[in-house]
Amino acid sequence: MFWKRKPAAAPPAHTADHSLLVDVRRLSKIYNEGKENEVRALDDISLAVPWGEFLCILGQSGSGKSTLMNILGCLDIPTYGTYYLDGQAVSDLPPSTLSSIRNREIGFIFQGFNLIPALTALENVELPLIYRGMPAGERRRLARSALEAVGLGKRMGHRPAEMSGGQQQRVAIARAVAAKPPIIMADEPTGNLDSGSGREIMEQLSELNRQGTSIILITHDNKLAEMAKRIVTISDGHIISDRAGRGIVQ
Amino acid sequence: MNATQTFSMAVKSVLSNKIRSLLTMLGIIIGVATVIILVASAQAEQKYTRLQLEAMGANRIQVGCYANNTRLMEEVAAFCQGQVGETLATFGQYVWAYDISLKYRSKEMSMDNGGGAYFIDGGYSASTGRYISIGRDITDADVRNQSRVCVIGDAVRKYFFGAMSPIDQKIKINGQSFTVVGVYEPLYGSKLNTEDQILCMPMSLQRRVSQYYGEQTPDLAMTAIDRESSDKFCKEIIEKFEQRFQDSNGYFYADSIGQAQDQMEQSQNKEAAKTAGIAAISLLVGGIGIMNIMLVTVTERTREIGIRMAIGARKRDIISQFLIESAVISCMGGLIGIFFGFIGSAIWGNMMFGSIVDSPWMPKVDAFLVMPSFGLVLGAFLFSALLGILFGLYPANKAASMQPVDALRTQ
Repeated sequence: MFWKRKPAAAPPAHTADHSLLVDVRRLSKIYNEGKENEVRALDDISLAVPWGEFLCILGQSGSGKSTLMNILGCLDIPTYGTYYLDGQAVSDLPPSTLSSIRNREIGFIFQGFNLIPALTALENVELPLIYRGMPAGERRRLARSALEAVGLGKRMGHRPAEMSGGQQQRVAIARAVAAKPPIIMADEPTGNLDSGSGREIMEQLSELNRQGTSIILITHDNKLAEMAKRIVTISDGHIISDRAGRGIVQ
Repeated sequence: MNATQTFSMAVKSVLSNKIRSLLTMLGIIIGVATVIILVASAQAEQKYTRLQLEAMGANRIQVGCYANNTRLMEEVAAFCQGQVGETLATFGQYVWAYDISLKYRSKEMSMDNGGGAYFIDGGYSASTGRYISIGRDITDADVRNQSRVCVIGDAVRKYFFGAMSPIDQKIKINGQSFTVVGVYEPLYGSKLNTEDQILCMPMSLQRRVSQYYGEQTPDLAMTAIDRESSDKFCKEIIEKFEQRFQDSNGYFYADSIGQAQDQMEQSQNKEAAKTAGIAAISLLVGGIGIMNIMLVTVTERTREIGIRMAIGARKRDIISQFLIESAVISCMGGLIGIFFGFIGSAIWGNMMFGSIVDSPWMPKVDAFLVMPSFGLVLGAFLFSALLGILFGLYPANKAASMQPVDALRTQ
């Protein structure tokens, strides 16, 4: 299997349930709490996601879905509630551990690609591996094979500005998967792409999921959401529905 | 993430914005170049005086005592004379002759106008670095026999005899007839100066020539075998004096040119340090310039920082990235500054040598290429690196303490 699924090792006695990838309990994210302009981006959300899931968080803009992804991706901390990632309470962890989790456990794909403009495609893909402290030879090999897997074997030396949006997003995917993280989090990955490129990206995500990677996809697009195995709809910071998807690309 | 990668990333980032990086470096470049030029030329000046003093003979010692303590002075003289062949290479005695006027035919000359007349023994000339160019020196036999002979300096020779040979000519010293037996070589080459306006007579003729003053206790002039023993010997003599000297109205001295050189160097070092300190202020301003630009860079690259954090950069990765970047800027500036420092030192040094007005009583030294010393270059480089790190700390820390989600949200 190309992308290894995280082995379900027996949890240490004192920690929580490792069988769940994400275990969110009564999570709230409140901006300007207590003030006139208080915003409850997430309001008392509970959600459990098992390993290997292809979950779509569906919601209109302003629904709180991106806030949820930021918290799930350890980029942001909740105001209230607890978040267990692989049985570990994330809120208790120091920033350096969070960095390490983002580096090793999670691959991010953003709507705006978020590539570093000064670096070539290869260097962008190598970057997380550099932060992991991987030796240069292995790092380069992994980065190359990841770029080849997304069909960009011939554009490794190009900078983001020299590539189309679809190609940039594929570089971002390569960057997210190069280190073979057990989780991929994708925030509107097709949002800036034409439908053809968007479908390609979605197919690649489905393929990753088939190979065992857990995927959390954030989108506002109902059609796109249908290809996930499970769809959680968010509105005004609340979960309003939680249902199975069709698991096909439309 | 290891240092090489961080470093190559920093270099890339600096090079990706050449004009801005160069402008940022400008403060450091100017600062480093200024420090190097100022210190190098101060050091060159120091070297110049050192060469001058060495040309005068750094091993030379003078011992004297202004008091009616003839006995003690004689003891010291005997002690010194006993050291010849051990600590000392030469030993001579002399007495300054006051109110001396010379006359040759119709020409007259007063030795009090800048020149000097001495009663000497056979060792004086060698001990003060005087060499005979024509004729012979005054010998101990002349002293014993009270011979009415004299040796004159080149300025005196020119004045009285011009192109004529002075040897065996009779001149009148305070009205008494003396035979010129020798001429001293001009002390500092062909350039005449007051040091060459000199007249020496045998020491035993003191009373006869300068009747008014009677007989004085002679001072001592010596050369030590080397620089170290000259310093040591001076100390020894001073100890001797200190043990025995009781006259509260007089004083004694034992000086070597080497000591004078040390004192001069000390004060010159202080001057150089002061100048370097002032120039270092411009380096400080350069450092602030770096901080300013690094803050701008951090703001501009907030999103990049967010991306890096999202894919796993830790706080210290971000800190070291920006620290190394500012250190790279300041080190590059330092290197360029060193380059200009070398050029500037050479140019400035040349101008300095051109502007030196040689004092008439100091030997002339050939100009040399002014180059900053290795220690100076290394120091300037390390200081600029330190500045980069110091002034990079705040921006780097600012970058690293951003929340990833906030940084990512920035456009």
